[in-house]
Order: sequence, then structure tokens, then C-alpha cells
Amino acid sequence: MILSGYEGYTKGKRRNADLAIRDEIKRCGTRARNHIMNVHDNGFREKKISIAKTAKACCNTIDLLIEDIDKSPTGMTHAFFSGQRSVSVSVLKKLIKHDHDVIEMMTKAVNISNSVEHAFASDKTDDEVKSLIRKCEQMITSSRGYYSARSTVLEGLRQKKKV
Amino acid sequence: MTTNFKWRSNPNIVARLVDGNDIQTWKSQQVVLKPNEACAFIIDGRIGDIITEKVVSSIGGGLGRHIAEMIGATATDRRMLFAMTGPLDLWIPFAANLSDGSEATGHMNLRIQLRKEDIPKLLNIFANHAPLLDRAGLIGFLGHEVTTRCIVPAMAKCSSVEELRSSEFQEHLEMHAEVEMRQTLSTLGFTFLRAFISTSKTDQEKLARLKADLDSATQTEGANADALMQRIAIREAATLRRIECEVNVERAKKRGEVTIQAESELLELRKQESVWEAELKRDQGQSNLRMNESSHKTTQAMELFEQVQARKRDRIQQSQEHQDQRMDKQNDVQTKMMEMAAQQGALTPEVMQEFLRQQTAQKAIDGNNSDTPATPPVAAVCRKCQATLMPEWKACPHCGSTS
Repeated sequence: MILSGYEGYTKGKRRNADLAIRDEIKRCGTRARNHIMNVHDNGFREKKISIAKTAKACCNTIDLLIEDIDKSPTGMTHAFFSGQRSVSVSVLKKLIKHDHDVIEMMTKAVNISNSVEHAFASDKTDDEVKSLIRKCEQMITSSRGYYSARSTVLEGLRQKKKV
Repeated sequence: MTTNFKWRSNPNIVARLVDGNDIQTWKSQQVVLKPNEACAFIIDGRIGDIITEKVVSSIGGGLGRHIAEMIGATATDRRMLFAMTGPLDLWIPFAANLSDGSEATGHMNLRIQLRKEDIPKLLNIFANHAPLLDRAGLIGFLGHEVTTRCIVPAMAKCSSVEELRSSEFQEHLEMHAEVEMRQTLSTLGFTFLRAFISTSKTDQEKLARLKADLDSATQTEGANADALMQRIAIREAATLRRIECEVNVERAKKRGEVTIQAESELLELRKQESVWEAELKRDQGQSNLRMNESSHKTTQAMELFEQVQARKRDRIQQSQEHQDQRMDKQNDVQTKMMEMAAQQGALTPEVMQEFLRQQTAQKAIDGNNSDTPATPPVAAVCRKCQATLMPEWKACPHCGSTS
């Protein structure tokens, strides 16, 4: 996995790194959404309303994830006023690992969505297709929850150690 | 010295294409992009960076930029495409007919979103549109297509008002709109999020509402009338009950007075009764005494009478026996006389005839003696009770007096 412009939260480019991570997660979400939307459209055209409904529910979940990422906090520039303490290497490692895990989950979700479209195009049954869609939705929901934990990691950076 | 450039002065503005060369100010301009705003730079006809959540300085104006333009040190054409990236609600009015011919009017809500990466696609709109895009303009762009592709076909399949209000219809309409509008929205850079329909009241619903109102008014009137009747009935019952109670009270008073009066009278009567009872007992006692005396005398009289009767029966019996003995003796004498006559041969028919005649005469005499009615006794009078007494009675049977 290669992220352009990502330098691992090096000093002075941490905001850009954060933005790159968020952009990557959103991109993965959009990719999964496109696959699922194709299944939705085809399901509706072929009168497979149950599949279309399931796909629509999955798309809504992806929209929520993208909106969460879009409107998530990025921190402030001046640490002195924000009360942000200096970042330790361990915290950065923790953050990097967390980002990696989220992106991996999103990649899995994209792969599942791809499988959904493939299953719909092949001779899989409706139940199998719906099962795959729900699996994708579950993965997206997990990613959303896992991403929200990222703010907890960042929260640790904002608190000065009390003497 | 910089001033803030405001690309959006109205909440209805969705996007705006700004020509950097049109910003002619002495002071340099900067713009603050909020999290729901994004800006795509189009420099010399090429799409540049798309930025958000940032302060973009020196977007136009200022003396330095003016001098740079004069010496040709800046880009020839600089345009900035600002857009809102948050969800956007469009209310598209419509008027369509249901399958039963009734007309339905209302609005269709289309919730769309412009994502940061899709902002350059807005150039497709601005190619044929003024550089300012607001909600009304977007509705003008999409409204006709939404009505034609989504609303009218969905309404035509809807058979009744009830179906129009159902959640299944809303779901179907949303999916239908998403499928049909995807290409158009994607071309313009928008992402479809949700859609639903909000219809005004149809004529049938207005009629049903009117009927319901009238029914409600009628039922209200009926309920009021029922309540009034119940109230009147309760008042009537209360009045009757009060009158009945008053009558009962009066009756009880009268009854009490009568009872008291009757009790006093009864007391007097009891007194009188006890007096009478005492007198009666006294009289009964006296009567009993008299009766005992009387019965004793009667018993004695009856015993005497029985003794007289017994003696009379004895005398009659003795008399009868005496007569029978005499008759037997006469018969024996006559028999002996007949035998002696027969022995003497003197028994002739004339003798027999004479004999029978004498015997008959003798029987007639005996019969007359026995059947002779007794001489009626001379009645005596009791000196005490003045009752009539037979001469043979030794005591008066009525009062028992022996004198």
C-alpha cells in the first residue's frame, strides 16, 4: 500500500499526513460505494428489490463514514494555546498503526464490495449476494467505529501532563 | 494588509466561479475555507489543487499582484471554483396524476452532496450557466428531469392515495430516483444521498377530511346532547329523590305521631282491657260457682228422676206380671172348664160360642185395664224458680229445690 504525500507524521507535515490518511479512507469508501451502487442500480432494474434495498443500506453506511471523516477534527496549529503536549515516538507509532489498521479494513471492505458486484454478475443466488453486501456493510461499520477511536488517540496529544 | 474575500453572501448559494482577474482591490484578498467549503483552482485552463479547511491568502488584488501582472510574472487566467461540500436539500415542486386520475401536488426532496474531488465537475454547469449557482438554479437544472424521469412514472404506478402515503412507495421512489438520476448528478459532480416525496392533500383527502370533520362535529353534537340528557336525567332523578325523601320524612313524622297517639290509646285500652279481664274473671268465677251449684242440683234432680222412673218401671212391670199371671190363670180355668165340658159332653157349639164370647169380653176388659190412660197429674210449681213440677217429682230439676 502506497500513499502519496505520506511521510509518517514527520514534524511540520503532520497535518498533511493526517489529511492523506483521511483522503485515502474516503477514497476507499468511495470505491466501495461505487461497486455497491452498481449492484443497487442493476438490482432495481432487474426487480430484485431486496438486493437493492440491502445495497442502499450499505451505501448509507458508507456515506456516514465519509461524512465522519470529512468532519473529523484535525487539531490546531499553535500547540501553546491549544494545550497540546509534545508528541512522543510511541504515540506516533500507535497512531500510524491505527491508521494502517483502518486502511486495511477499508481495503477489505473494497474487496468485498468488488466480490459483491462479481457475485451479482455471476450465477450467485440473491441470498449470497445480500450476505456479501451485509458483510461489506459490517466491515464499513467496523471501520467507522475504529476510525472514531482515532480521535481518542489524538486526544492524548492534546492533554498536557499535569504536574 | 489583507481583507477577507467572501464568496458566499447567501445561504442558498451552492457554488460560485470567481475570476481572479476580476478582483481589483488595493488590498490583497484572502479567503477562509471552512470544513464544508472547498475551492478548486483553475489556472490557465488547467484544474489545479482542491483545498479545504485552509486560509488561502493572496487570491487576488493587492499592489504586488498588480505589479506582477503588469510584468507578466503571474498566470494569465486564474479562476477559483468555490463550492459547499455539505449535504444539500432541494425541494422540487411537482404536479402529477395518480393512476386513478386524481391529481397530486407537492414537493420532492432531493438530498445531494458535492464531494471535494467532484467540485471541478461543476464546470459542466458553469459552461452554460451564470457563474453563481444557487438552489433555485440547481432546481431549474434538475427539476424538469426529476419530474419527468422519477415523479411522473412513480405516480402513474400509484393506484390510490393510501399507496401514495405508504413507506413502500417512498422506498421505491427513492431507488427509482437514484437509478434514474445517477448519470445526470454524476455528470454535474453531485452524489445522491436520499430522496422522498411530500405531497399536499389531494381532493379525495380533502373530501375525506371534510367528511371526518363533519362526522366529528356530529359526534361532538351528539355527545353534547347525550351529556345534556344525562345531566337532565340526573337532575330529574335527584329532584324526584328529594321529593320522595321529603314525602318519606313527612310520612315518617305522621306515622310517628300516629304511632305515639295509638300507643297512648293502646295503653288506655290495655288498662281498660286489664280491668275488663279482671271483671270477666270475677264474673266467670261467680258464674262457675253458680254453674257448679246448678249442675250439682241438676245431678241430684236427675238422680231423683231416675229413681222415680226406675220405680215406675218396676211398678209397671209388676203390674204387667200380675196381669199376665191372672191371664194365665183365667186361661187355665177356661181350659179346665172346656175339658170338663168335653168330659161331660156338654161342649156344644152354643157353649163354645158362649165361651169364646166371654173370653173375648174378658180380654177386652183386660185390654182396657192395661190401656187405660193415666189420669193426667196435676202440675205443681216450684216455689223458688217458679218452674212447673210433676206431682211425683220430689225436687225441682231447674233449681234443685226440694221444697
